[in-house]
Amino acid sequence: METVLQIAALALMVIGTLFSFIGVIGFIRMPDAYTRLHATGKVSVFGIVFLLLAAILLTPLSLWKGLVLILFVLLGSPSVAHSIASAAYRIGLPMSNPARDDLKGKMEQGDGKD
Amino acid sequence: METIVTFTTWVVLAAHLLMALVAAWRVWRGENSIVRLTALDLAGTLTLAVLVLISILERNSIFVDTAIALAALSYLSTVAVAKFISDQKVF
Repeated sequence: METVLQIAALALMVIGTLFSFIGVIGFIRMPDAYTRLHATGKVSVFGIVFLLLAAILLTPLSLWKGLVLILFVLLGSPSVAHSIASAAYRIGLPMSNPARDDLKGKMEQGDGKD
Repeated sequence: METIVTFTTWVVLAAHLLMALVAAWRVWRGENSIVRLTALDLAGTLTLAVLVLISILERNSIFVDTAIALAALSYLSTVAVAKFISDQKVF
């Protein structure tokens, strides 16, 4: 039973690290601020949640603390991404190669300077 | 088995520290304030991961408490700075 838990925790740690790695690579390589925000969402949701599940499996003492932190990350990360994207649109940062802009003319925008 | 778990945790910890360094580099040399703010949030998230990994290494749950406090502070500061960038005032 102990060995099964440890193998599961190892797999969860490796999967979480891969997700974080993909997120950081996306953050470096993506062309504009909005797509970079899309990439960093992977780090905070999948990376942290898988690492915390591994910590819960390996250290039984931190079960409820880990669940509280998972809930907090799952609630906080989307609202942080929303507020950053809203600020980027309000100061008028340009998108690279947009398909369409549903908010065009409905919100006052700046000139792209911060 | 214990040795493999400890070794993998050290490797994963090193990878997360490296990624946090990359994020800190983008805070220093970002193109605009939004990219810098995103990098700051990313660095906070990776520091959270580092704290969770230290709690796995030490088998001690006090580091998860620290991680909860860091998550709350990082969330509040990022939202406040984003609001300041968009409206030029905080409240």
